[in-house]
Amino acid sequence: MENDKNSQKIVDYIQNFARKHSIFVLAYGTGCGAIEIPATMTSRYDAERFGIRGAATPRQADVLLITGYLSTKTLKRVIRVYEQMQEPKYVMGFGSCTINGGMYYDSYNTINGLDQYLPVDVYINGCMPRPEAVISGFVKLQELIQQGKAENGKKYRENLEHYRTNQKKIIKNWRMPDYNW
Amino acid sequence: MNELINENNLLKKVATAYNIKGNVIRDRRVEVFANKELVSSILLYAKLQLGYVHLAHITCIDWIEEGDFELVYTIWSPVERIHLFVKTRINRVNPEMENIDGIWDQANTYEREMREMFGIQFPGLIGEHEFILEDWDQIPPMLKEFDTHKYASETFFTRPGREDAQDVRETLSKRSGTDVPDFAKKYSRET
Repeated sequence: MENDKNSQKIVDYIQNFARKHSIFVLAYGTGCGAIEIPATMTSRYDAERFGIRGAATPRQADVLLITGYLSTKTLKRVIRVYEQMQEPKYVMGFGSCTINGGMYYDSYNTINGLDQYLPVDVYINGCMPRPEAVISGFVKLQELIQQGKAENGKKYRENLEHYRTNQKKIIKNWRMPDYNW
Repeated sequence: MNELINENNLLKKVATAYNIKGNVIRDRRVEVFANKELVSSILLYAKLQLGYVHLAHITCIDWIEEGDFELVYTIWSPVERIHLFVKTRINRVNPEMENIDGIWDQANTYEREMREMFGIQFPGLIGEHEFILEDWDQIPPMLKEFDTHKYASETFFTRPGREDAQDVRETLSKRSGTDVPDFAKKYSRET
């Protein structure tokens, strides 16, 4: 995305500028962290002033928020949702459970480390992260988008085999559609 | 001070009707111990004769040292406002218990969960075998012999810790030039 003058092309700059100011978050809550989202979206913290708002369906969404612990049963649905999303698409890991398992590190039914299964752009630590932390994570994501560094949809396509191997290790009965992105 | 009249009456009624033992735990809590053959009869008697119409919960406890599962049926009367715990023990080897979803429909859900999580069989229980877990190929996960930490570390990816992780109390004591207090030394990482 950079030209020979070591800066972005003007087209890319405008494109990224537009992208970073209209982040549509898929309304999909996993785990306990989804309770922080209403507080982030409503009038006190008002995330919409950053252009962050909800989207009802995966095909219209840009960001998939994994809010808290992710059980192996939910992982199957999350993968399916993520693969339906249109590029550019971003994943945010929310809370310590997505980072290293958190308090469920030895649970038989929740994954440890989200980035083994989906490419994660931004992690927000905390248990639970407060709305300020969530907004700070979104601002970080906006910076990445502006610099043209948030290209994890492409990374997922290119390293699909690696991610599939890890996913199939947990989801033994694999009955998922194949997409030809 | 509450005289526990209702509680003692209830215990007397159930205990004499079935010749079993029990206790008044405290006010509004009564427990009885029964054989597994008697349980459905006691529950039906309590529901139809004594007015204990509400099944609050069925719990299973794994007593691995004694080779038993303990099943606790918690039922409640809206008139007397007392919880009655009917407790029974079943053998841990090939565990099997009578299906009571004919008495309370909602028992079906609890029994399906116990079938999945503890491997207890309920003859005549109707419902999909897969209830909460998906694609599970290990022993039932709530059993005490199931090593959940080992399973998690083999199945999932553990993230290595930070190399520069510091002990909070020791860092603070070094910074301020004071000693770590005695009570905190047993938690020290530098040993």
